[in-house]
Amino acid sequence: MSHSTVVTSAPKQNLWEGGRSPYNVSYGKIMMWFFLLSDALTFGALLISYGTTRFFSAVWPDPNEVFKAFPFMHGQNLPLLFVSLMTFILIMSSVTMVLAVHAGHYNDKKSVAKWLLWTIIGGICFLACQAWEWTHLHGEIGGLWGTFTDPATPTSSFSHFFNKDIAGHVLSTQPGMAMQSTHNFFNYFFTITGFHGGHVTSGVVFNILILVNTVNGVYERRGHYEMIEKIGLYWHFVDLVWVFVFTCFYLL
Amino acid sequence: MSAHHNTDSIQHLYEGDQSKLYSGVMAHHSDINSSESKTQIKKIWKVFWILLVITVVEVGMGMFFSHSISKAVINFLFLALTLLKAGYIVAIFMHLGDEFKGFIASVLIPLVLFVWFIIAFLADGFFWLRMNNSSPSREQIENVAHSTKK
Repeated sequence: MSHSTVVTSAPKQNLWEGGRSPYNVSYGKIMMWFFLLSDALTFGALLISYGTTRFFSAVWPDPNEVFKAFPFMHGQNLPLLFVSLMTFILIMSSVTMVLAVHAGHYNDKKSVAKWLLWTIIGGICFLACQAWEWTHLHGEIGGLWGTFTDPATPTSSFSHFFNKDIAGHVLSTQPGMAMQSTHNFFNYFFTITGFHGGHVTSGVVFNILILVNTVNGVYERRGHYEMIEKIGLYWHFVDLVWVFVFTCFYLL
Repeated sequence: MSAHHNTDSIQHLYEGDQSKLYSGVMAHHSDINSSESKTQIKKIWKVFWILLVITVVEVGMGMFFSHSISKAVINFLFLALTLLKAGYIVAIFMHLGDEFKGFIASVLIPLVLFVWFIIAFLADGFFWLRMNNSSPSREQIENVAHSTKK
């Protein structure tokens, strides 16, 4: 099965003269791709401005120091473990989504419903993890956006977010600069993970809608499961963005 | 090769309700237990394992090597692995690899803008780093960090 074997019944005509889709993709799917492209530029703008701010800051909080907590493991030093779990959950839900799309190609209603349900569960687990992480950070820094603005803030309330070997000198000589970095770090963190979390939330809602439609036989009557493909594209995009958020916030 | 392109003449289906197009396409696949279907499912799980291994490697690097290897080298590795993961997700999970070349190009070419964005904004960040006289330069910080370690 390859594109070169497409047989054209009509006399040879220009692909672009109308009457057919030159790329063999339906309108809805093309529009989903271009929506995702614009969304990628939005996320890109957020991540690049984060990168710029980080680049012009002399010191920056160390992710290994900021993200080292895990639920029910209070006081233990477990850097990056929780976010790895979140990443695993999201990759897993991407796999179940692609399996739902695959089942849709075969008009297998039961499998589509099964894999969509798992995708929804994965999405909800991810959101629960994010809620826990935000709550934990809220407790630790005493707020979400706009924290670390008071000049009287003692250095001890943010110094533990830094790697002492690299930032120790700045922390002791210019603590205000380290505080400004901490402020920027958390503002970007909550904005970008919040924007991503909003995408996950709407993705879960879309998944629930198409699950209901699948179970009610809407797509079976329509004769195809293209809607699963379109929502699937959105869901994979959310996973894709997380790959970049994960790198920018937790690894670099 | 691809799961969702048909090989028959379908031109007439593009006129009017395009959804008919897909009912025609889907008719090719009747049995989810066919060997063709099973090969595709195998491929999906293979990509899952690749993504998982890459993530584990990244986390391992972040935990154990982030301060022992040069920052530039490790960041380059992180970005390369991230782009590799993104490539697998887009090509296999989002089936972009199965589309026509022209369509792949129309999705990917606008992303080239990011190259310019990143260069421009890093240059801007560099400018501000130098402008801010009260801030020590990054080299100064690293020198101090090195001397205090010794």
